[in-house]
Amino acid sequence: MKKLALFKSLSRFSLLSSVFICSLVVLPTTALANKADNTLVYASDTEPENVSPYHNNAREGVILSHLAWDTLIYRDPKTGKYEGDLATSWKWQDSTHLLLNLRKGVTFQNGDPFTADDVVFTFDYMNSPQAKAVTAQNINWIDHVKKINDYTVVLVLKKPFPAALEYLSGPTPIYPEKYYKKVGLKGYSKAPIGTGPYKITAVLSGQGVNLERNDHYFTGGPIKKPAIKYIKFRVIPDPDARIAQLLTGSVDWIWRVPSDQADKMKNMPNIQVKSAETMRIAYLAMDTTSASLKDSPFRKKLVREAVNYAIDRKAFADQLVRGGSRPLYTPCFPSQFGCDVSAAKKYPYNPAKAKALLAKAGYPNGFTTDFYAYRERGLAEAMLGYLRAIGIKAKLHFMTYAALRTAQRAGHVPIAFQTWGSYSVNDISASTSVYFEGGADDLDKDPKVISLLKKGDATVDPAMRKKDYSAAIKRITDEAYWAPMFTYSSNYAFDRDLNFTPYPDELPRFYLSTWK
Amino acid sequence: MLVFVTRRLLVALSVALTVSIVSFLLLHFSGDLATSIAGPDATAEQVEKIRVEFGLDQPIVEQYFHWLVSAVQLNFGRSYYFQDTVISLIRERLPITLTLGGLALGLAILVAIPLGVIAAIKQNTWIDRLALSFAVIGQAMPSFWFGLTLIIVFAVNLHWLPAGGNSSWQHFVLPAICLGYYAMPAMMRLTRTGMLEVLNSDYIRTARSKGLNESTVVLKHALRNAVIPVVALAAVELGFMLGGSVIVESVFSLRGLGQLAWDAISRNDYPVVQAVVLIIAVFYIALTFFADVLNALLDPRLRVR
Amino acid sequence: MSNLTLTANSVMTSLPAVPEWRRIMHRFFGHRGLMIGSVILAVIILAALFAPWLAPHDPYVQNVSQRMIPPIWHDKGTWNHILGTDKLGRDYLSRLLYGARISLMIGISAAVISGLIGTTLGVLAGYFGGRVDAVISYIITTRLALPVVLVALAMASLIGGSLQTVIVLLGLLLWDRFAVVARSTTQQLRDAEFIASAKVLGASTSYILIRELLPNILSALIVVMTLEMAHAILLEAALSFLGIGVQPPSPSWGLMVAEGKSYMFFQPWVIAIPGVALMVLVLAINLVGDGLRDMNAPEGRS
Repeated sequence: MKKLALFKSLSRFSLLSSVFICSLVVLPTTALANKADNTLVYASDTEPENVSPYHNNAREGVILSHLAWDTLIYRDPKTGKYEGDLATSWKWQDSTHLLLNLRKGVTFQNGDPFTADDVVFTFDYMNSPQAKAVTAQNINWIDHVKKINDYTVVLVLKKPFPAALEYLSGPTPIYPEKYYKKVGLKGYSKAPIGTGPYKITAVLSGQGVNLERNDHYFTGGPIKKPAIKYIKFRVIPDPDARIAQLLTGSVDWIWRVPSDQADKMKNMPNIQVKSAETMRIAYLAMDTTSASLKDSPFRKKLVREAVNYAIDRKAFADQLVRGGSRPLYTPCFPSQFGCDVSAAKKYPYNPAKAKALLAKAGYPNGFTTDFYAYRERGLAEAMLGYLRAIGIKAKLHFMTYAALRTAQRAGHVPIAFQTWGSYSVNDISASTSVYFEGGADDLDKDPKVISLLKKGDATVDPAMRKKDYSAAIKRITDEAYWAPMFTYSSNYAFDRDLNFTPYPDELPRFYLSTWK
Repeated sequence: MLVFVTRRLLVALSVALTVSIVSFLLLHFSGDLATSIAGPDATAEQVEKIRVEFGLDQPIVEQYFHWLVSAVQLNFGRSYYFQDTVISLIRERLPITLTLGGLALGLAILVAIPLGVIAAIKQNTWIDRLALSFAVIGQAMPSFWFGLTLIIVFAVNLHWLPAGGNSSWQHFVLPAICLGYYAMPAMMRLTRTGMLEVLNSDYIRTARSKGLNESTVVLKHALRNAVIPVVALAAVELGFMLGGSVIVESVFSLRGLGQLAWDAISRNDYPVVQAVVLIIAVFYIALTFFADVLNALLDPRLRVR
Repeated sequence: MSNLTLTANSVMTSLPAVPEWRRIMHRFFGHRGLMIGSVILAVIILAALFAPWLAPHDPYVQNVSQRMIPPIWHDKGTWNHILGTDKLGRDYLSRLLYGARISLMIGISAAVISGLIGTTLGVLAGYFGGRVDAVISYIITTRLALPVVLVALAMASLIGGSLQTVIVLLGLLLWDRFAVVARSTTQQLRDAEFIASAKVLGASTSYILIRELLPNILSALIVVMTLEMAHAILLEAALSFLGIGVQPPSPSWGLMVAEGKSYMFFQPWVIAIPGVALMVLVLAINLVGDGLRDMNAPEGRS
């Protein structure tokens, strides 16, 4: 009898706690409320080190740049034709002088009018050392900007630069002079102002960026007033957490979904998946010059060739990356102007030959090395597997992009799995020249290559340019400075109710998106 | 009692001081700080300038005292990576971790105590064994794996709860279960043994012989005595949980102190790392101090030692 | 409590050898948890030892045309890969078997290192008492205040993760429980008769500590050893899971969970297999530890 009473009161106690637990567990299903709120939440892995577009070189920064800022020229993603954006028309006065007529009646998101002064300020200031721009190569072809009147400027180039329009429609957003001078870089990175179709309402460190439609966005330009009112960019470093959040509906759009997962998601009712080849290329970069890597085996050409023979590019493209990925043999994306595939020395998959080359280089039993990577751990591991098969035992260091770049520039990275998206610029000067023209990221500093690329970058005649670039590609691949591996495809997975079109330049244009 | 508390307090303070030395040294293991602050493109001159500017040319003892004096004033310097001061980062993240820890602890207590009591009353029956197996499994499960399993089942398949993030209270449920299950077994076992001991004591036998209702005996007398050490243990467990939350937070993308520490660790952002280590250690010291005092209050024998 | 342990110890040492052994065997077979734990643990140890002979494939050889084959209990499973293959086409069973070596190696080595450190400190503190005890207790308190997981993460990322790093780090971090237990058990035995008589006979301190005292606190230390082994195995898995423990392509179970994570929503067996393996191993070690503690307990199993 006593026991019964005891059990009753005990069960009362445990009932209480179980009610508490159940109330926690049984919750309404998390609904896809974003469409109802007219809010698009997109997630990606990297947080730009600074939202100011000239002060980060993350792809996520480029996306933001095209949402909140405008460029002088707009490239239609479908036709590839250049249209006026902040400039309405332009004319080459000679090979180093580009005259631009600017659009009138455009205001920045804080109400300041847009004039020639802003263009002069943006390019002149960002080219100066005190600006501390990290994307110097995107504007250092401009010598200075001449203001003719409030709505006319002339860009004075250092030397002929054939890809100028391509750059002016890409990574060269225009900043508000008055506001920037007032708040400085620090203030600007917390509350940036542009002219673009969306305005940034909050920069949440470690979390992402909130944007709201710019209802005062100018009309008559190439970009129409967007349909979606709010956009939230969320940084979710873990790829599986991104997938989980898409599947549970707290995020509407993710990209770079590995093909294996994308294939499975295609069968899910509330998700759609689209794939597109991108301009992004994957390669192994080997350091041949840094003093701290004096004894690095990769200084030997035979070893670099062995690495090139060790990688089964076709397996990467067809089995691992898929969705339109292709094997890559050039240090540039094949569709880029000047990227002559026929000039490149092709290294077929031949592990036996690779082993022989290693033996010839003095490593009959292989060697151990550090191996760096910053994205797609699975692919990095597959590369380690191929290297291991020829006797190179590589130790993986997986880090953020910024950390890898720092380590590499400091000369601590013998070999790294890297990727490059050329800022979506369809010209070889945005890829090969960045890595082989003697700049901060040039690990090989080959004088022959440097002079060829410099010549090509400064020539206007397309045929002459091609000749120089082909010679550079031949030299780079003969010396096997890189092991180019494959081009990327990107799988986009998003809410069934979202209209979204991917383009090969890997630049999601959310201002074109609508809800179904 | 006052002597006891004062003595314990002195020990706690000096331990905190020692921990501060250790967490400071952690920073200086990382190599030349001036070079890493200056960045990759800096010239040797700029590096030297920064060395002087940040006081890194001073002897290490002096640097430590400088850091300590600032740290006591809650000034931990600036983060290298985040565009913010360390203390404002911590202020932003600490509440999240404390919420998680508090919820996890609450959950663990709510499960551990009833389960421990039932197991003790039903000693050596299948209920007891079930409760013990539940505890043993909790101790053996890797928390990151348990977290992933929770996400697969409750977030992705059942759609009951969000998979990650921290924008609402629902976001804390799965992480709290994950973290709480890890702390639960020890408390359950302690409740069970405590109950067994008390139930077999003369004092309870007397209460029973007086004809008191069995449930009154168990709940009012036995439980009260058995629970005291559990409360003390709970305080210590909370300290452990704050330190261990880094794994759970990273699995659930919860932006708490643990995630901050992990971000900072992977970016060599050492001012943040050492501040977080120090703060978690100080929390632990404070909690154990609290547990010690609590134990001593309730068990006078302990005061002597 | 302390008196009870003491008498139990002296009873155990004074009993004749053969019945003592028999009694242990009797207790061993009578304790279900201990039995189950020991059998599982023995199986895992044997599997790890004989991995090269048991593994059907080389755990490191990748074959991208044979990726993500599901285990045998799925419709598409094949006998060639009983537990399937991972995303690089490596045989999962082979990796699991080799992974057992890593977990056990780390568990045992870290427990031995921390055991040496902790026992030395604890015995010295317990035996000498006074200032020595005060200093060592202080060190123990300080160590307890440091968040193990965070410090291990920070140090591993500084030094660079590897098998050796993880072993040394965990060995240097997990000695606290050894020290606490060694200290209290030594305190209980310090004034025991057999220690006193050894002193009278003129034995040196080191002789007393190593020959007389240590064997008598060993059983308690072995229980701690199992706990710390389990602890170290779980911590290694967590470090490797976060990417700064054992590095790929080593088949650490924690790393296997990390590598399979991207498939977990669609092919959950990829993380279920290494996760369950980890859990079973830790469970077995804990059962053995609990069982040993019960056997050491004065009144037999509770």
